[in-house]
Amino acid sequence: MADITPNPDFTREVIANGGETLNLCYQCGTCTGSCLSSRMTAFKTRKAVRMAQLGMKDQVLSSKDLWYCTTCYTCYERCPRGVDIPGVLFAMRNLAVQAGHMAEGHKRTSEAIITYGHAVRPSDKNTELRKALGLVETPPTVLVHESGLMDIKRIMCKTGFDKLIGKPIDLGAGAVLK
Amino acid sequence: MSDEKIKNEKDDVRIGVFVCECGVNIGGVVNCHEVADYAATLPNVKCVKVNKFTCADSGQAEIQKHIAEYDLNRVVVATCTPPTHEPTFRECCKEAGVNPYLFEFVNIRDQCSWIHMWDKDRATEKAKDLVRMGVARSRLLEPQEDSFVPVDKNALVIGAGVAGMQAALDLGDMGYKTFLVESEPSIGGRMARFDKVFPTNDCSICILGPKMVEVGRNANVEIMSYSEVVDVDGYVGNFDVTVLHKPRYVNTDLCTGCGACSAKCPVEVPYDFNEDFGTRHAIYVPFPQAVPLRAVLDKDNCIECGACEKACEANAIDHEQKPAYSKIKVGVIVVAVGFSTYDPEPNNDYGYGIYDNVITAMEFERLLNAAGPTGGHVVRSSDCVEPMRVGFINCVGSRDARTNIYCSGVCCMYTLKNAQLLKEKRPETEHTIMYMDIRTPFRGYEEFYNRARSLGVNFVRGKPVEVTEEDNGNLVVRVEDTLKKEILNLEFDLLVLGTGVVAHEGIEKLAKILKLPRASDRFLMELHPKLGPVDSTADGVFLAGACSGPKDIPYAVSQGSACAGRAARLLATGRAPIPGITAVVNKEKCVSCGICVDMCPYNAISISDEDGLAEVTAAICKGCGTCAAACPSGAMEQRHFKSNQIMAQIRNVMSIEDAQGA
Repeated sequence: MADITPNPDFTREVIANGGETLNLCYQCGTCTGSCLSSRMTAFKTRKAVRMAQLGMKDQVLSSKDLWYCTTCYTCYERCPRGVDIPGVLFAMRNLAVQAGHMAEGHKRTSEAIITYGHAVRPSDKNTELRKALGLVETPPTVLVHESGLMDIKRIMCKTGFDKLIGKPIDLGAGAVLK
Repeated sequence: MSDEKIKNEKDDVRIGVFVCECGVNIGGVVNCHEVADYAATLPNVKCVKVNKFTCADSGQAEIQKHIAEYDLNRVVVATCTPPTHEPTFRECCKEAGVNPYLFEFVNIRDQCSWIHMWDKDRATEKAKDLVRMGVARSRLLEPQEDSFVPVDKNALVIGAGVAGMQAALDLGDMGYKTFLVESEPSIGGRMARFDKVFPTNDCSICILGPKMVEVGRNANVEIMSYSEVVDVDGYVGNFDVTVLHKPRYVNTDLCTGCGACSAKCPVEVPYDFNEDFGTRHAIYVPFPQAVPLRAVLDKDNCIECGACEKACEANAIDHEQKPAYSKIKVGVIVVAVGFSTYDPEPNNDYGYGIYDNVITAMEFERLLNAAGPTGGHVVRSSDCVEPMRVGFINCVGSRDARTNIYCSGVCCMYTLKNAQLLKEKRPETEHTIMYMDIRTPFRGYEEFYNRARSLGVNFVRGKPVEVTEEDNGNLVVRVEDTLKKEILNLEFDLLVLGTGVVAHEGIEKLAKILKLPRASDRFLMELHPKLGPVDSTADGVFLAGACSGPKDIPYAVSQGSACAGRAARLLATGRAPIPGITAVVNKEKCVSCGICVDMCPYNAISISDEDGLAEVTAAICKGCGTCAAACPSGAMEQRHFKSNQIMAQIRNVMSIEDAQGA
């Protein structure tokens, strides 16, 4: 295993981006033991927090494990130090995304929102079911109100989210960003 | 005082300003020479001096030299903090012939160099402002004299655990009559319930018993067992204490503690001395080594069958006993009421209260004890089988933001002890201690940890998360072994919780009676965490043992002796000093509205029977100034903090021009 060179700048970045309580952790393992995700995946909560404390920037940001937290908050509820562990993980995810690391699944879902205004588009089965229940076939969302979809695209554009997921939106020459 | 006189006095004011660098503590941030140069421009300042360490002998000699050379009658020292250094400089001035109350303290360390360490220029500017304010106040200071109140030669110790017993023994040995009040039927406290004590594993009651006997025999110590302090009035040197004697329904003069009554009593109830494991009778002798060795009748559970009366040859049983009260007068009070243990039942920590075989360390301790409910056999509740695999969980109710954030300090050691004791009794058993950190400072403690390891006790570093119960009553603990970085599911026959130390359940009531503050951890607060660890905020009241935070036995015993020593200062000199900063009433201005009486946090003010006006008992007054600020007619004035002195400071921080005039 390669030697680790702690990077205090990254630790400070995590703290500044929502991980204020990071340094309170004394590595008792309550979080890992409580983590539902860790029973199925390679994600180890305490390890992720420790990596943040050590400032292991490259290893953390490129880690696939980081995305396995389901944000059930059990770790936060049980943590004897009151560390906002999901907050630490969110901070690291945000930094990971800014550095160009986003899980494929998250990327695809985000693309769907930009393209259709929905994370999950109504399927044919859905439409049938709506008909059977006597509802209008197409739900009264951006699927009907096209200007709404444009609004969503504008928001994505303005916040730079489109670029984060690697799908820059072209709003056209006439589009005005408010 | 006439205006003319004030003017004359002001003209005569000769101030020396001493700016302390405190090594680099102040000098590293504040430009002390610049501050001193500025001070030299202020009116009435006759000399200034910068010292590396003003509190050192050389620094004090400088002050005294300048007092003589410049004929100073006021001294201003700009340095650290009054609680630690004011007495030093006051004494220094006194030696040089300047009244100690003509010394003024300016704090440019905490308020300048520490808090503004990143902004040196502005820290220096602020230091100048503070010095200007100090000089303005100093100009108006008046000499004051300390007074003294006589001290009654008797002492009171509340709580007869090992700390209280030590305090009472030391005071008694010094020749002072000491009342030792204990709410339980016997003295001894918690230590009487322990099986063995770390780090030497000697039998607890075997070493405590002789001390208990010694307390009982000491001619100067009067034990008031099964009694409680219900009211305390008065002040240092002169406390009037009311003690409630709960009815024992046994005449202690006649009872011999033979136990014949108990043997005949048909009632059995859970025995709190054994942590409610096993039973006792409605009439019982607390335990074989009890002092006083007298029976006590638990009226709540007595069925008044008369069996005990028939059995008692001494005719000591008295069903008609009533609560009785004594009034005692004492000069000093030592509080040593001890602690309670964290109760895991309300939250069902690790299944405690749900699973039969999850117990607390204190319960385990009683099971280990030869005089305990099982005669020293550790068995589990579900099937009375002796466990082969015992798990110990540390830090239950300690080091946890959801319960108590502090470390209880003793749990690591008692868990190491409990594991060792059972391992010694039954070497075939397996023991696993689940811990976050093992904390073993002090002599012989780390060696004690090594001993547990060499005996074969297992250690898992991790805080357990969940406990589940198997059909056979066994328990499965889920824990991350943080060193192996893997989740373990460990099966045990018995699980012991290392529950932490919490403030005594009666502490709130007693704190109110004695007007003592408590800290956020709910324990009583000491006067100073380092330099006044056994003094309380009330003069003449001292704190020993775990009433002011978790402590082990050696620490508690040391504090018991320390309290006796601190208390004896007052008893031996027979007088207690009252600083010259107490409030005084201007009877001509007082309108008897009584606002000061209500506002005073120390109950130091009353309305006089004679003239119907406010009256301050100087011995109780702490000089907090609440009354002076609250008095609508300006009749209340606090010596050494008079309105004109404080106003001069305020005016001087508001505008520099005023500095020249006021």
